[in-house]
Order: sequence, then C-alpha cells, then structure tokens
Amino acid sequence: MGRPGRIGLGLVAAALVVLPPLTGFHPYYLYLVSTALLFGTVATSWNLLAYAGQISFGHAAFFGLGGYGAALASLAGLSPWLAIALGGGIGALGAAGIGLASARLRGAYLALATLAYAEIWRGVAHNWTTVSGGGEGLIGIPPLPTLGWLPLDFTRGRAGSYYLSLAFLVVVVAVFWGMLHSRLGLAFAAVREEEERASLLGVHPLPWKILAFALSGFFSALAGGLYVHMVGVVEPDLIFSRYFSILPLVMATFGGLHTLLGPAMAALGLYLVSELLLHPYVPAFHQLPYALALIVVVLYLPGGLSGLFTRKPRGAA
Amino acid sequence: MSLNTLAQALVSGALLGCFYTLMALAFSMILGVTRALNLAHGDLIILGGYLGYWLWSGSGLHPLFLVPVAAAALLPLALVWQWLFDRLPEPRELSSLVLTFGLSLLLQNIMLALWRGEYRLIASESLTGSLTLGGLRLNQGRLIVAVAALLVVGGLFLGLTRTRWGRAVRATSLDRDAAALLGINVDAATRTTFLLAFCLSGAAGVLFATLHYLYPAGGIELTLLAIVLTIWAGVGRLRSVLVAGILLGVVEALTVAWGGPRWRETVVALMLLVSLLARSGGLARGWSH
Amino acid sequence: MAFGGLLALRGVDIAVEEHQVVGLLGPNGAGKTTLFNILSGLLRPTAGEVWFGGRRVTNLAPWRLSGLGVGRTFQIARPFARSTVLDNVLVGITFRGRHRYGRALDRRHEAERLLATVGLADKAPARANELSLGERKRLELAMALSTRPTFLLLDELASGLSPKGREEVVRFYGRLKERGLTIFAIEHSFRILAHVADRLVVLDQGTIVAEGRPEQVLGSPRVVQAYLGEDDGP
Repeated sequence: MGRPGRIGLGLVAAALVVLPPLTGFHPYYLYLVSTALLFGTVATSWNLLAYAGQISFGHAAFFGLGGYGAALASLAGLSPWLAIALGGGIGALGAAGIGLASARLRGAYLALATLAYAEIWRGVAHNWTTVSGGGEGLIGIPPLPTLGWLPLDFTRGRAGSYYLSLAFLVVVVAVFWGMLHSRLGLAFAAVREEEERASLLGVHPLPWKILAFALSGFFSALAGGLYVHMVGVVEPDLIFSRYFSILPLVMATFGGLHTLLGPAMAALGLYLVSELLLHPYVPAFHQLPYALALIVVVLYLPGGLSGLFTRKPRGAA
Repeated sequence: MSLNTLAQALVSGALLGCFYTLMALAFSMILGVTRALNLAHGDLIILGGYLGYWLWSGSGLHPLFLVPVAAAALLPLALVWQWLFDRLPEPRELSSLVLTFGLSLLLQNIMLALWRGEYRLIASESLTGSLTLGGLRLNQGRLIVAVAALLVVGGLFLGLTRTRWGRAVRATSLDRDAAALLGINVDAATRTTFLLAFCLSGAAGVLFATLHYLYPAGGIELTLLAIVLTIWAGVGRLRSVLVAGILLGVVEALTVAWGGPRWRETVVALMLLVSLLARSGGLARGWSH
Repeated sequence: MAFGGLLALRGVDIAVEEHQVVGLLGPNGAGKTTLFNILSGLLRPTAGEVWFGGRRVTNLAPWRLSGLGVGRTFQIARPFARSTVLDNVLVGITFRGRHRYGRALDRRHEAERLLATVGLADKAPARANELSLGERKRLELAMALSTRPTFLLLDELASGLSPKGREEVVRFYGRLKERGLTIFAIEHSFRILAHVADRLVVLDQGTIVAEGRPEQVLGSPRVVQAYLGEDDGP
C-alpha cells in the first residue's frame, strides 16, 4: 500500500479510536458504528475462510451460534465477557463440524451445504423451545458490565461494547495478517488453488480446511455474542437469517476478496451508507444496497471476484 | 401412530408431492439448459403466489382461473433472468448461486415492501373442506392442486417428448455444444425453457398460496425442496422427478405426523445437507443426466 | 483399472528398480496418465496393487505417498496460479514429510536454490499465472523436486517445447539420474528417452505391448503398429 493509502488508513483508525468521546458518547452513533465494526469482523472472518478456498453461504450459522451460546451463558449467570468467549468457542466447534462433514464438497455444492446448515440451526433455535425460547427467542440479556479500572465514560453505555467490537476487528485482522505471512497462508492458498497438487506436495487438505472453518467460525461467533449483548435480545429468525449470511459475502467480495482490509472497509462503508442514508428515507429498502452490490459485483466486476471463482475440481474438468 | 393416521399421512403427502414435482421441474429445467442454479426459485414462486392473492382478493375469481394469469405475469422476469444468466462468469454453478442469492434478497425486500410481513392465504371455499374416500379424509384443496399439478406435468412431458421444440430443449439441456452443431437454435431453446419454467413457477405460486400461508421469506424452503428433488432425481428425468416428489411429500408428511409441523422447514434443510454429503463425489456429473 | 465400463488399464505389471530411468511410451489414450494417477495416489485402482520400497502403498493418499518420497509432474502444468513462483516451491519444502527446516529463512534459501536449478531464479516474485508455457513446465519440475523425492513420475516434460527446449530436457534427465533419483517418465517421443532410459515400457490401449532395453523396443513391430496413424511415430 502506498503512502497516501497508509495515511488514509491511519486517519480512519485514529477516528475510530476517538469516536466515542468525539460524538459525546452518543448512544445511537456508537451503536451504529459498533454494528458496522462487528460486520467488519464477520466479513474478515468470512474472507479468511474464502482464502482457504471455502465459500460459505451460511455464516449466519456461526454468528447465531455465538449469539445464542453467549446469550444462554449470560442468562445463566456467567459473566458476559466469558459468555461471549464461550459463544465464540461454540461457533468454532459448529464451524469445524460442517467443515469436516463437507470436506469433499467444492464450489456451489459446498455453498449449498453451508446454506442448509444455517437453515438447520435456524430451525433448531426456532423449535427447540425449551432451550432457545422458541420463535420469540430470549430477552433480557444483560449489557456488558463496566470495568472498574477504566474511566467510567469509556466502558459504560455503548462505549464498552464499541471498544470491544473495535478490538474484535483489530484481532481478526491481525490474525488474517498473521495467516498471510505464515505457513498457514501457504497451506490455505495451496488448498484453494489446486487441492490435488497440494496433496501431492505433502499438504493434507482436511486439517487445514477444518482449521480455516474453526477460525472463521470463532470470530464470527464472537461478533454474534457481542451483538446480542448490545441489543439485549436474540431471535432465531433474525440472527440465523440469510441476511447475516449474505452480508459478509457482499462485503468481502465488494471490498476485495483475499485482501487484508477490503472486507472491513466495505463493511463500514456499505453499512453506514445504508443506515445513515437509506434507512431514514426508504426504510423498506435498506437491505437493497447489499443485494444490488452483490449483483453488480458478480456481473461487472469479475476481477474483484476472481478469487471467488477458482478452477473447477479436476473430476469435473 | 395409528394405521389410519399413517395412511392419511401417506396419501396427503403423495398429493403434496405432485405439487413438489411441478416446482422442482421448473428449477431443474433452467439448470439443465444453463448449468445455473437459481437460488431465487422459491421467491419467484412466492411472488407468483402474492400476485395470485392480490388478483383473487381484488376480483373474487376462483383461484384456478388465476393460475394462467400469474404464470403469464412472471414472463417478463423470465427474460430478465435469462439476460442476467447469459452474463455469468465461470464456473456458472457458483456464480449463479451468488447472483441469485442477491436476487433472492432483492425479491424478498420488494415483496416485504409491497405486502408487508403479514401472512396471506388464498382461502377459497371451494378449496377448503374435505372429501372422504374409503375411510380417508382428503383435503379438497390438496386434491385439486395435485390434479392440476399432474395435468401440467403431463402436458410438459408430452410437450418435451412429442414436439420439435421439446426435443430441441432436451438436446440443449443434454449438451449445448452438440445441439448447436446439430443445427438446433440453442438460444431459442434456452429462451423457451426460461419462459416455460417461469410460467410453471407462477402457476405453482398460485397453487401454493391456496395450500399454505404466504410470507416474504417463505421462498427458501421451496428452493431447498427443489434442489433436493433435483439431486435425487437428476436433471430432466420427468418420471424420476415425479417419483422423487411423491417420495419427498410422503417423507415430509410422516415427519409432520410424528413431530408436528414446526420441524418441516428444518427437515427439508437437513435432507438437503444429507443429500449433498451423500453425493459428494463427482457432483458435476450428477447434475446432468 | 476400470472407469465404469471402460477398462483403462489391464494386466499392467511393471517394476521400476531403484536409480533406474524407465520410460513409458505409447500413443494418446493408451492409459499412461491413468497409470501415473494411480501411482501418485490420485486414483484408486479397481484391481491390483502398488508397492513402494517393499511396502504396500495401494490406496494411500497422495500426501502420504509424497512423504514416502514420491514426486510427480503434470503434463499440463498446474501451479498455484495466484501465488508467487517462490511460494509455489515453498509449499513442498515447507510441508514435506522429511528434511524439514525449522527456520523460514532456511526454507526460503532452499526455494531460491531450487528455482535457480531450473532457471527461474529471477521469476521468484512473479505470479505463477504470469509465466510462459516453458517457464511453467520448469516450475512444475521445481515443485516436484521441492519435496526431495526419491522417485519421480514425470509426465511429458518435453512435449510442446522447441528443439532447444527438448535438448535441455534431455540434459535434465541426465542430471536427475546423476543425483540418484529413480525416474519413471512418460514421453510421447522415443528419441528423448533413447539415451537416458535403462528400460522402456510401451503401452497401447491399456496393455503393455513391449518392454525392454531401448534398442530392443525400437525395432518391435507391435510398437510401430501402435504408433501407426500418429504424426510423430516412435
């Protein structure tokens, strides 16, 4: 990235850090940007999985598992911090599960399997009333507690969750960066580009795929866990909805597949535009920009999507 | 579960299965000629249903008269879809999924904006009420829908096997390049397929609206059903699709009889996942004949 | 080896001695690549066994065969298209079963040395999909060597190259043999292997039609007949 890029990035980062006091700890704006940051986290984690060649149409499953896991733990009395972490773990397990099960699937078939997986969890959360609270979900999830050792303004109200969501994004981006510059990235790229060739070079694809799923699921679930603590409720048809599956897909492809910061940038940009510009004026269509962005990217920006559509597996060639 | 309940479920499921066949055929026809997966398939059917509902509540006409109207109403969309699918990058199976994921969301938003989230049903008197045949109570509506669906499927079968354009469509679906070499106008055959498939979807939508509540997000279940059937029966094999459709209907009815209607959607998703995993080798071959 | 109703290989019984160079010849469609796919673990034979170094290795996964010392190139090069040339060879070096390095710097150095061996040192930072055909073939070879194999399956290294390129390939075969590697090489043209191979095996429609020292095989009428109708000839 050139100098102007770095300067711009630095400005954005600085702005994000000082946003709360800058806006006078205004709850609505903090909520808005927090949510955007959470989506950025999910989008980056989606991108991580895509880097390993696995295209997911069901990230809502991990987001939702994290949400429900954290909510249930929190309501059972566990500290919200631990509850969110626990939710992350559950998401990682759920992701590893589908990753293992669908290891022999590629491309469109893997995408469909992940889609089906998310729908299954949606159904389970909707119908397993005793555990999940059924269609109405769970309410009364406690907000994040204030931290005694930080100045009150920075942890009470929305500010606490804001900084946590920022922290999540920073961590997942750091993990992505670490992946890119390590053996992990080498293996992921090899499995993605030519799985058979990779296996001939000593790379056993399965454990790497499962790891990619687990990492991706973990961060998406963390975001989900924090999200439910921010809004205080969790509903099956909302948190497992395809909306949360399509968002990371759009943000990652729009922002730049396999790039470090593309998805996060796109998340902030798309979400803030849709919430600040569209929602107030045409609320019924506030999901529209994502749908349109996706259609445009598929048809007119194939370069941006070149990572999405890698070569077909050998058997089908 | 009593024997009577079991028999009830079997027949009821079989009737519904005829409808599922109709739905799955529309999906697999497009898949056959374009190798593209239309994830917005179910949403188009729901749209057909909403249009039918809108016409029904406005005009009071019997729903069966509205079937062709809704079918025709979706024709412009067929052309839009074909135009979009022509521009898909390779590999088409995945790129079409991405595109139609977006289209599905788009349609849902439009339907939500036009008709809100309340559940709608074409509750026509002639379709409620039941018939008793040999100790089994058959829902009249389901019976009529099943008959209508079978008629359409039968007509489609005749069309595809007896007419020239039908053979052209089948050839294009089997091997596009070979068909072109044989002098078949593959573009025309593709267009015919799209128009036909969307007609079927519109018709299925109205029929669906008489059986089941409409709501904007209800399409996904239908799409997943269509995909399951296509995996089970393969593309273009009408008889297999019919058998698979009835089988699916029965499985679903049994599940509902056992666990209640709430788990229906989940069972469909589970069946899709299991079907995909079971077919995990050479899936590309599995999509064609 | 049967694919559905098609019998691709039938009664193929081959032994390759250590340090030998054995050539596999035959017209298109003879089943040579199928055999290679079986030997590298990409295909499971419907009948028959594969042994390596005294061990039964039939049905072992490719990455395990690689760990035992089997390496392979593809006739149509299949590098990791969007990764750099350096990364392409780093994969084998990083994930091979034996001779692993602890430090990334060491791996990098070996990768650079390997690229230099095939003449691609200056292309290290380029993406694999930017390479020319000849360069891609060299990358294929480097990738196969990156796991330090003892047994190499080489698939038509010389095809599609200019005469000068083919000469280079012949020299390369010699160098690999000098290193003590065991080589099983498919070539379409007999001349490439004539001087370097210890033995030749000729396949036609899935069965062996000739086997033996190059001089013996060249004159065999069955071999000539198998190639009849081919532009190249044996």
